[in-house]
Amino acid sequence: MQSELLTQGFLISLLAGTIRTSVPILFTALGDIFTQRAGILNLGLEGIMLMGALGGFVGAYFTNSLWLGVLLAILVGTLFSLIMAFLSVTVKANQVIAGTALTILGTGLSAYLYRSIFGVQKLPPQVEAFPALKIPILGDLPILGPVLFNHNILVYLALGLVVVTYLVLEKTTFGLSVRAVGEHPRAADSRGINVPLVRYLCVMIGGAFAGLGGAFLSIGFMNTFLDQMVAGRGFIAVAVVIFARWNPYRALGAALLFGGANALQLRLQAIGMPVPHQFLLALPYIITILVLLSVSKKAEFPAAYTVPYSRSER
Amino acid sequence: MKIKIKNLLAGMVPSVISISLAILVGALLLLLTGQDPIEAFQTLFWGAFGSTNRIAETLVKAAPLMIMALGTSIAFKSQLWNIGGDGQFTLGAVFAMLVALNLSFLHPAILFPLSFLAAFLGGALWGGLAGLFRARFNANEVITTLMLNYVAVYLLGWLIRGPMIDPKGHGFPQTPLIEEGLRLPLLLSGTRLHFGIIIALLIILAGYIFWRSTVGFRIKLMGEGHHVARYSGIEVPKTIILIMCISSGLAGLAGWTEVFGIHYRLMDDINSGYGMLAIVVALLGNLNPLGIGVSAFFFAALSVGGSTMQRMVGVPFSLVSVLEGLVIIFVISRVVYTQWRDRCAVRTFNAGVSHQPAGRDH
Amino acid sequence: MQAYAVEMKGITKRFKGLVANNRVDFRLAKGSIHGLLGENGAGKTTLMNILFGLYQPEEGQILINGVETVMNNPTQAMNLGIGMVHQHFMLVRPMTVVENIMLGLPSKRGIFLDKGSVEASLIELSEKYNLKVNPKAQIRQLSVGEQQRVEILSVLYRGADILILDEPTAVLTPQETKELFKILKLMRDDGKSIILITHKLEEILEIADEVTVLRDGCQAGGEKITDATTKSELTNRMVGREVALSFAARPACTGETRLVVEGVTLKDAHKLPVLNGIDFTIRAGEIVGLAGVDGNGQKELCEVLTGLSPLTSGRIQLDGQLLNGKKPIEYIREGIAHIPEDRHKTGLAMGFDITTNLIIKEYNSPRFSRAGLLNFKAIYANAQRLLHEYRIKASGLAAKARELSGGNQQKIILAREISSSPRVIIANQPTRGLDIGASMYVREKLLEQREKGVSILLISADLEEILQISDRIAVIYEGQIKGILENKNVSIEKIGMLMAGVESGAQAVC
Repeated sequence: MQSELLTQGFLISLLAGTIRTSVPILFTALGDIFTQRAGILNLGLEGIMLMGALGGFVGAYFTNSLWLGVLLAILVGTLFSLIMAFLSVTVKANQVIAGTALTILGTGLSAYLYRSIFGVQKLPPQVEAFPALKIPILGDLPILGPVLFNHNILVYLALGLVVVTYLVLEKTTFGLSVRAVGEHPRAADSRGINVPLVRYLCVMIGGAFAGLGGAFLSIGFMNTFLDQMVAGRGFIAVAVVIFARWNPYRALGAALLFGGANALQLRLQAIGMPVPHQFLLALPYIITILVLLSVSKKAEFPAAYTVPYSRSER
Repeated sequence: MKIKIKNLLAGMVPSVISISLAILVGALLLLLTGQDPIEAFQTLFWGAFGSTNRIAETLVKAAPLMIMALGTSIAFKSQLWNIGGDGQFTLGAVFAMLVALNLSFLHPAILFPLSFLAAFLGGALWGGLAGLFRARFNANEVITTLMLNYVAVYLLGWLIRGPMIDPKGHGFPQTPLIEEGLRLPLLLSGTRLHFGIIIALLIILAGYIFWRSTVGFRIKLMGEGHHVARYSGIEVPKTIILIMCISSGLAGLAGWTEVFGIHYRLMDDINSGYGMLAIVVALLGNLNPLGIGVSAFFFAALSVGGSTMQRMVGVPFSLVSVLEGLVIIFVISRVVYTQWRDRCAVRTFNAGVSHQPAGRDH
Repeated sequence: MQAYAVEMKGITKRFKGLVANNRVDFRLAKGSIHGLLGENGAGKTTLMNILFGLYQPEEGQILINGVETVMNNPTQAMNLGIGMVHQHFMLVRPMTVVENIMLGLPSKRGIFLDKGSVEASLIELSEKYNLKVNPKAQIRQLSVGEQQRVEILSVLYRGADILILDEPTAVLTPQETKELFKILKLMRDDGKSIILITHKLEEILEIADEVTVLRDGCQAGGEKITDATTKSELTNRMVGREVALSFAARPACTGETRLVVEGVTLKDAHKLPVLNGIDFTIRAGEIVGLAGVDGNGQKELCEVLTGLSPLTSGRIQLDGQLLNGKKPIEYIREGIAHIPEDRHKTGLAMGFDITTNLIIKEYNSPRFSRAGLLNFKAIYANAQRLLHEYRIKASGLAAKARELSGGNQQKIILAREISSSPRVIIANQPTRGLDIGASMYVREKLLEQREKGVSILLISADLEEILQISDRIAVIYEGQIKGILENKNVSIEKIGMLMAGVESGAQAVC
């Protein structure tokens, strides 16, 4: 068994699996960087991802086009996140409660709609998932080829979005506004920035990305929709963003860490490691806690984190 | 006393409105998906209250919800967002079961209260851990309690397949049954209604007294912000841990009533999503013990009726989650209505004022 | 008659039924410095927020350079050349100076930021008006004075000709204030029109060309400043009545030494000393005033003296008994009362009612609880008594703290702290944000406690206040006591020098 661990095939499948399993978390985390930077903690991402997963699956199933599925997932994610934006920005509600409500609603609604649309079937309906896209030349490299350059297109999209997120946040006027709104909304307001608008946009960007993350689960990673398929990834994405201290590159690293833990437990279980597989399944969650413990003291949260802004109050 | 009841009733109005709105939206959803909302809600209501047995089922479901929601309300009052009720529930059940199975040489009269305490301890340990993390490392308790929920699921999964598995259970993932002397006595033969509901009501009563105690005061003061708490001489980190322990200990007790009152053993799904539901119950009950009692009953009915509805008219049970989510959304959105009303009031007030000749020489 | 830069006519603004501005007229001549004078709560800031587009008035018109306009938001105001330097700086601390300047402005490179060219024009601008600052520095690395310069630069960068400065000198040393006034004059001579919001009469007389006085939201006069304008004339307008600004002379303090602070040092998270070897004593029945510019360790000293922060080294003794090392609750029980700087976050539980706010420190004592349960009868009786004794104005005992005016909020704190029969009172900025009446009440109460033999440390950024009621004056600068003076014929200049960290050979008394 020891030798099996060290074969090249095992390593390649582990690393490639790491990348694949980290992508849904990565998508969601990237969008959540905008949301958190603007000062909003969105615990509804779990529910939004489920709605996105359903949207992606339904879109792909009925149009036979995966891309229309992706589009629908983004749309559903954005619209669903509007509820969070409304509750946290307009109502100025407690964000933990608002997010919890959204997650409960998303969990219920996605399951309800799935049953209503597809009924109870012996064999769950399926779609053809996004195929792996081998990049010419690079894909033929030993080890690196199968690990990095033989994924479906959404994986490449996720990696590309890491750079885009960084550029938008650090190099554009919009990014500057987002950061200011999360740190000192009153200052942003006095400089003529529309604080509620920026916050709405940031929550919606987070929703769009989470929808994409959900769609990756249903039509990129698997080929069907399951009630429980998000399994806490929305919450983990929030933790990833804190772990990464709101930086997209670090978020990539953190997402890979979580993907890695998951991929490792799947593969160790497959080759029958003597460790109870429940421990491995619990590993990503335990790592999240440990990571949170190590970064929370020094992490400088946006100063206006979870604080609603109202112009007339001081 | 009369005024008190009047206030109480007035306090319930927003909750009733929120529920009505949620049901309305739920009905729209049913219509959109080609179901008959009247039939669905009728079945739901009948499923919850249609017979002695059904009412008993509703009360069975309400008991752990009350206890857990009371725990949730204590944390929420102090602005600690303990959303790890599920994990704490599980740990409470596990601890109680460990005591019941391993100390079975003790007399049931000793073992029974011991298992009760163990359940509180188990829950308190799991939530206290999150409290410790918050107090010592400033780790957001929302995330840690959530993550601990998942860890608890796998911990239970492992225990009932490994160390605690029933040796005579043909490999089924479950523990042996507890002795009959340890089970919560039935209140109504022919139903599952057990003594847990009495315990839950007593705990609600204790909750009422708790808020009139100095510890309750300290917890409310924590909810006003850590600056003023510290200024008042409260040791904030210690109190955070204390609050998390009390809050999650109660969740552990909920696990105890469920296992010692219904299942009599540990299995994979001893907890059917009580944690999230307890949050809804606590919020709808306005974090007030009496309100929690009422709203626990309501959501228990919804849940019991929801299963009947799925069986009888084929409406997916998930509709109940949709309603729960909507209820919270409407409860927290009522602020918008109040703001709007205030704005209108100010406008009329101003209109009244500006008609007066406002001389500068007053 | 020259055109006015700003003309506001009959401005009325209400908040939740409270009239903040009542038919106020305001005129700012081009190329002048105009003082806007009034007490806290007189409506100065509201009026300026209306001019800046942050609030919309219910009635009245606004003319900018002779053209009537409706201000819907700050952007519109900025486009019309109005800029505001807020009292609480509107700067994003983790961002750099350049980033703060660029914030909210369109970029020459479309959606992308254009730091290079902004930096160049910023340097040019700062040289023109002698406003030196490092464009690449993060705001949190800058001193308060430098941050203010960034605010002014930001306003100028946006092309403002009309500048509103809200209490700009509140955070400055006397020397920094002089510096600022030089810059303001430079800008005026360059054709800018400047509004200076203040409640300090001296500043108006020193720098303003004209003045408008507000009282209780109404205009109480507006005119040119001439050599004939006097302080008392302005005071009467501002307050609306004759105010005795001084207290009767009182006998010197002869009490025994009560509080001894020796070599108290406190290091922050980065191991830098924020308090550095603080030594002083307070006798029974003595008020020691602690003067200094905000942020020189006053807050930390307060935390240390009330046990909230454990000190790094040194000793604190109360009547010969060592205090440091004890828990905050023991400090409270030993009789150290604390009037904190921040009423809203620290001194009061804003969501609690008056009754409960009066017991937040003593809910656990046998006075208010029995066997772990609150004794509501005693709690209500206590509240009734104090409400009456301190003349707290509220709709009733069930009124929430946040519904009260600043003065009444401070009275709750005073009532609670004094009714605990303390041995020492640490009062940190006890009159900040209060109007003159409430301020005088607080000072009277402190003097009353002095009579009763309580030792008081009065920390204040308001030198007048310190001179008014202290027996001795200590000056803090960068976490060190620069000197302790008897409050007899001390010159403000001397204290000002000490506040700026200049040691002029002032020998410590005692």
